[in-house]
Amino acid sequence: MTAHTLTIGWLYPDLMSIYGDRGNIIVLQKRAEWRGIKTTIVPISLDTKPTTLTTCDLLLMGGAQDRQQTIVATDLAKKKDVLKQMIEEGTPGLYICGGYQFLGTYYIEADGTQIEQLGLLDFYTKHPGDQAKRYIGNMAFETATFTGKNTTYVGFENHGGRTYLGKHLTPLGTVFHGSGNNGEDNGEGLLYKHSIGTYCHGPLLPKNPEIADWLIQKALEKKYHQEITLSPLDDTLAYTAREKVLAKLGK
Amino acid sequence: MIQPILITAGKLISTLSKVLGRGNGSTWPGHIALSTNPTFIHQILKKNPHLKIILVIGTNGKTTTSKMIATILKNTNKTVIQNTSGANLLNGIASTLLLHASITGKIKAGYAIFEVDENAVPGVLAQITPFAIVVLNLFRDQLDRYGELDSIVKKWNDAFVSLPTTTHLILNADDPLIAYGGHNTKTTTVYYGLAEKDMHQKALAHGADSIYCPRCSTKLTYKHISYAHLGVWKCPNCKLQRPDPTYTFTNVPLPLTGTYNKYNAYAAMSLARAIGLRQDVITTSLKTMPPAFGRQETLSLDGKQVQLFLAKNPTSFNQSLETITTQKAKHVLFVLNDRIPDGRDVSWIWDIALEEYLYAFQSVTLSGDRVYDMAVRIHYAQTAKQPTPKITVEPDLTKAISQALTDTPQDETLFILPTYSAMLDVRKILTGKKIL
Repeated sequence: MTAHTLTIGWLYPDLMSIYGDRGNIIVLQKRAEWRGIKTTIVPISLDTKPTTLTTCDLLLMGGAQDRQQTIVATDLAKKKDVLKQMIEEGTPGLYICGGYQFLGTYYIEADGTQIEQLGLLDFYTKHPGDQAKRYIGNMAFETATFTGKNTTYVGFENHGGRTYLGKHLTPLGTVFHGSGNNGEDNGEGLLYKHSIGTYCHGPLLPKNPEIADWLIQKALEKKYHQEITLSPLDDTLAYTAREKVLAKLGK
Repeated sequence: MIQPILITAGKLISTLSKVLGRGNGSTWPGHIALSTNPTFIHQILKKNPHLKIILVIGTNGKTTTSKMIATILKNTNKTVIQNTSGANLLNGIASTLLLHASITGKIKAGYAIFEVDENAVPGVLAQITPFAIVVLNLFRDQLDRYGELDSIVKKWNDAFVSLPTTTHLILNADDPLIAYGGHNTKTTTVYYGLAEKDMHQKALAHGADSIYCPRCSTKLTYKHISYAHLGVWKCPNCKLQRPDPTYTFTNVPLPLTGTYNKYNAYAAMSLARAIGLRQDVITTSLKTMPPAFGRQETLSLDGKQVQLFLAKNPTSFNQSLETITTQKAKHVLFVLNDRIPDGRDVSWIWDIALEEYLYAFQSVTLSGDRVYDMAVRIHYAQTAKQPTPKITVEPDLTKAISQALTDTPQDETLFILPTYSAMLDVRKILTGKKIL
């Protein structure tokens, strides 16, 4: 394999990176570099030009506090068109919690106020009110998307909003422990082309290396227009950590 | 009306729970007192108007700062009562008052120092008008339990506004969110902060929390940074800036190392100065203070030194790493638990700057309920450029301590960085007895 390179766009690292979401960046970078793929991390923040986004092969956006999300919303509106085009063209991305909610059409706050989101995909999020239970805890979901070998993934969710996907969208996986999107339809997150929306902190990728490799693989395939097979890495520790969480959840 | 029977019953319950080994009796009596009489605290305080109450609040440093304040006050012949560090909710405060009261509800002590859980502050202020509040800092910590920093500070500010002019408010000038907490209060407010020459960090660490203006949300600029988001800050838009510290402390020998302990000491000393104590008296009092349990506490086992550095959130872990590195630490044990006092979410370990410190160590032992999460974190902190320390993953804490001690040569120190519940477990193993 000729020397491949990978550019990861990290959306709002100083504003949208609470709950250790940086771990996802560390994992993507290391797993690429361990395979001889040189990586560059490009911080995309306030005042970064929208065109800088197009230099990225893979995007990541984490969660944030309310005030930080308000600051981001104004700026993200300027980058909306570029982001939409990239998502539609199949640029892989991982959008977590607040980052995930941004991709939808609107967010209804606890007091009923409706806040416009980017409207890139057909789904919305609703906070059921101050007295409603916040979904907090270890969670697990199933999907066969990433590898034939493993179908079970874990994370830690912490959100008040309930997300409802439009009928043409598919969730990332089926929740079998925890609440996921809304605690009603067993769906967790969203998978659209190569973009993943999820409520999983934890962070997601360290204990679920299959998802990290899928993102890297799709990014390289899109960039180099060829089929990519990543060499295997020793993930014993990650698998054990995941099994321990599943054991804790009683599965 | 304080019923003598309530106080007698509370004392009896405390004694019983100690005898039966069910906890240490530090919250049960208060819990029962409050459920029988919800205004118990308010009423017992009315009987004791002489009692000056000092609240210590913030994410990191509550126990150490409370101990510093108590040490200074006791050294100036004042009588002090305190809650034990785990009992920092309303029921813990009620218990402390109850256990120090006579049957008629009289408390002899002149001062009560209470460290208060972040979430319990509004509830406590609804029942207590404190003599002083010492506000330390706010860092991301147990987001699954506490929620977001902005919402915590908003609740605090709402409660501070109704405090009278007689309350001393001691605020950390270097923490933007905390400093802003004094902007619309009637209190007698004092600010503390480090001298610029003591601020050595070159850039904001990842995960620095409050780096946007608390008033207008513009990104702050920093002239100097001490650690995390603490430093000499200014808003380029609305010009809000770090207040000047009220007192300066030069050449004061401190009992504990680390930048974070400098802040704790400055907070305690600022309070002491604000209430009229002399600096030379304060300095003498603090000089020989032993650490609070688990906070740089030194124990020995098999002829080797063991030092405990509580590491319960990214900032406290980073500060502990920085401090042990200046002490040339070579052998470390990290213990990560995810029980209720630790927070159930262990995501925060990815906000620790492990990459900066890992290579200074020769042996790294990992343990705790979430040992494999920590093992994965360490796995990804390794680079090909430097030789990796010897890493041992051992879920069994007793075996892990034994292994870490084996890896530590005779005249060296083993540094243990545990989360809160892990610290209690480690101490129990090292001292052979339970403490809480």
